Amino acid sequence: MRIGDFKESYASDEAVFRTPTVRFWIGVLLAALLIFPFMVGEYLLYIANMVGIAIVGAVGLNILTGFAGQISLGHAGFIGIGAYTSAILATRYGLPFLVCLPLAGLSAAFFGLIVGGPSMRMKGLYLCISTLAAQVIFEFGFVHWESMTGGIRGINLPRPQIFGIILNNEFKFYFVTLTVVIICVSAARNIFRTRVGRAFIAIRDRDISAELMGINLFRYKMYAFGVSSFIAGIAGALWANFLLSVTPEHFPLTESIRYLAMIIVGGLGSILGAIFGAIFMTLVPEILKNILSMLVEAFPMAMSYLFPMQQVVFGLLIVVFLMFEPHGLAEMWHRVKDYFKLWPFEH
Amino acid sequence: MKQVRMVGSVFIVALCLILAPGSSWSQEVITVGGCQPITGRFAFAGLHINEGLMGALGYANEKGLLGGKQFKYIYEDTGYDLMRAMASFKQMMAKDNPVMMYGESTGQGKALAPEINDRYKVLYGSTSFSEELADRKVNPYMFVSGPTYSQQFGVLLKYIAENPKKKGVAPKVAFFYSDTEFGQDPIPFARQRAKELGIEVVAEAVTKVGAVDVTSQLLDLRRTKPDFCIFQGYVVSPIAEVIRGAKDFGLDITFMGTFWAMSKMLLDNLGPDAEGYMGVMPYAYWYMDDVPMIQEIQKYNKKHHPNVTYRPNSYMQGWFTGMVFTKLAQMCIERNLPITGENLKDMIPLVKDWDTGGLAGMVSFRNSNATAMGKVYKAQGGLFQPVTDWIYLD
Repeated sequence: MRIGDFKESYASDEAVFRTPTVRFWIGVLLAALLIFPFMVGEYLLYIANMVGIAIVGAVGLNILTGFAGQISLGHAGFIGIGAYTSAILATRYGLPFLVCLPLAGLSAAFFGLIVGGPSMRMKGLYLCISTLAAQVIFEFGFVHWESMTGGIRGINLPRPQIFGIILNNEFKFYFVTLTVVIICVSAARNIFRTRVGRAFIAIRDRDISAELMGINLFRYKMYAFGVSSFIAGIAGALWANFLLSVTPEHFPLTESIRYLAMIIVGGLGSILGAIFGAIFMTLVPEILKNILSMLVEAFPMAMSYLFPMQQVVFGLLIVVFLMFEPHGLAEMWHRVKDYFKLWPFEH
Repeated sequence: MKQVRMVGSVFIVALCLILAPGSSWSQEVITVGGCQPITGRFAFAGLHINEGLMGALGYANEKGLLGGKQFKYIYEDTGYDLMRAMASFKQMMAKDNPVMMYGESTGQGKALAPEINDRYKVLYGSTSFSEELADRKVNPYMFVSGPTYSQQFGVLLKYIAENPKKKGVAPKVAFFYSDTEFGQDPIPFARQRAKELGIEVVAEAVTKVGAVDVTSQLLDLRRTKPDFCIFQGYVVSPIAEVIRGAKDFGLDITFMGTFWAMSKMLLDNLGPDAEGYMGVMPYAYWYMDDVPMIQEIQKYNKKHHPNVTYRPNSYMQGWFTGMVFTKLAQMCIERNLPITGENLKDMIPLVKDWDTGGLAGMVSFRNSNATAMGKVYKAQGGLFQPVTDWIYLD
């Protein structure tokens, strides 16, 4: 049971990790994340990297959609811009990975600002359609700007290096992903302790009221697009350097929708939600696949019926989660946490 | 909380089962892995490819083609999703360490190429007919189970050059392809090759996969009047729309396709309009009873799958890949080499004039890790019938 949780200053009220208990558990989590790669094999490390990249991407989208209320269907496009920028810089100019990473973010942010332009005049579904158009244009660009993107064949990247260490396996890359995830998540969390973050939320909740309070809507919407696509670009650069190849097929519209699903399932407007959503959307299909593979081994004749069940079960899981907890996994987590706050003296 | 605990325990049990270390196979077992697109966009072929590959490996085991050794085939569904396919590959490599792998897409091959070369060193076949994956210098561990798309175009263009519609007049062709990797892969080569053979490329139409409105492309065909039009990058749609539209316009164009557009499914979809449709196929069809390997395939199916009445061309792709796996393993055994990815890879260029029992003619992997051969077929009475013998390019 947690007691003695009272605040004496605004600063302590705004603190990210408010109680010693929280700080303790965050410490445990960090330690576990650091020990994890030493305990598991390459398959789980691969999945962990994928989850990490998805977390970065989902946190980016949640800033734009969950916090600032601007629905985007072009997120995969921004991730693609980051991936291509990083690939082009690494292959043509031989720039090191650590330089490519922020540049990929900046390039995606640049395009994000362009795509965000129409948000001055449009909102809701209309803006959603304009971001869809951006997604289509990006995809077209990836395929047809052959001199730059390598067209449909894409670009193969050299192995990234950091301080002379070649990142040639999942184990080494895991630490890079983990660091980037921690930086992105902390940055995103801290945005919402500032005027900018609060302005995002005000715009989402009621844009007219926000404007009355003196928030320049256009400027803050552009900030949201910029920050969100910057983080998406970083996710793209990670993806490209992890897979060592980029082709237009990696960033289809369905990927944008997958990211939207992540933040909805996880919990809109919550950093933790984006993390949970990314974990859920990456891990659950893998777990289902493994369970069904075991079933198929037992009943090989039913293969053609069992494998498609993955999608059915996965879809059903999403529907069930949303039906029972529309605020997403983050809200479930809060409820579990609240239960333990008073445990074992709940009454 | 009880339910939460129960769900938690089920989850943990499932995880433990998944993470349990794989059992180690004895020396006599050659493990083959498959990342198969059994669901998803490619499911129309993935299921059959998987059955075909499984069949060929089972056949090799049954006939004792591996000198006492046995194939063990493990596979997973990837849903034609690159991320899942990569995860499946890594999981299988970590758990069962197969020496041969079957991949679900061109994308997977490309993404795995650097790691296969330096780390996994596993023989790698796939659904792909991409030129890039057949490049022996870049991807020595990978092979294409047949001719690459460029080579398939090579076969068709060779046929067109030798059989022009009007004697003494340079044939005119049109390329009709989708704006995907699959669609565009052979086009630069095809343009070049057509030039060399004195064939005039009068039109190039590019559409989305599954495009329905093809009016502007049809008008283009009407204006340029090609003798032949070759499709690339489609499976059914919009081939049927184009063929029917051309018929409505009264155009005298012979339409042709490459491997994925050579299925009976397309002919069934076209109905009577299919008559005269042509294309290149690297294998024999299920109903060609006079081909010895087809007889074997039919016998095997009769024994193990008595309800099966037809197997499509994607099944033959899987079966042929299984035959290549078997052949390369046999070559290692003949040379007393241990069956490892590296040794199997070294055997690929040594495959010369290999008799495949008529399933794919006499196969050689000469200049690239692809077979560079094919046969031209024509639709007659709802079935594809051969109009040439095997055409070899190298």
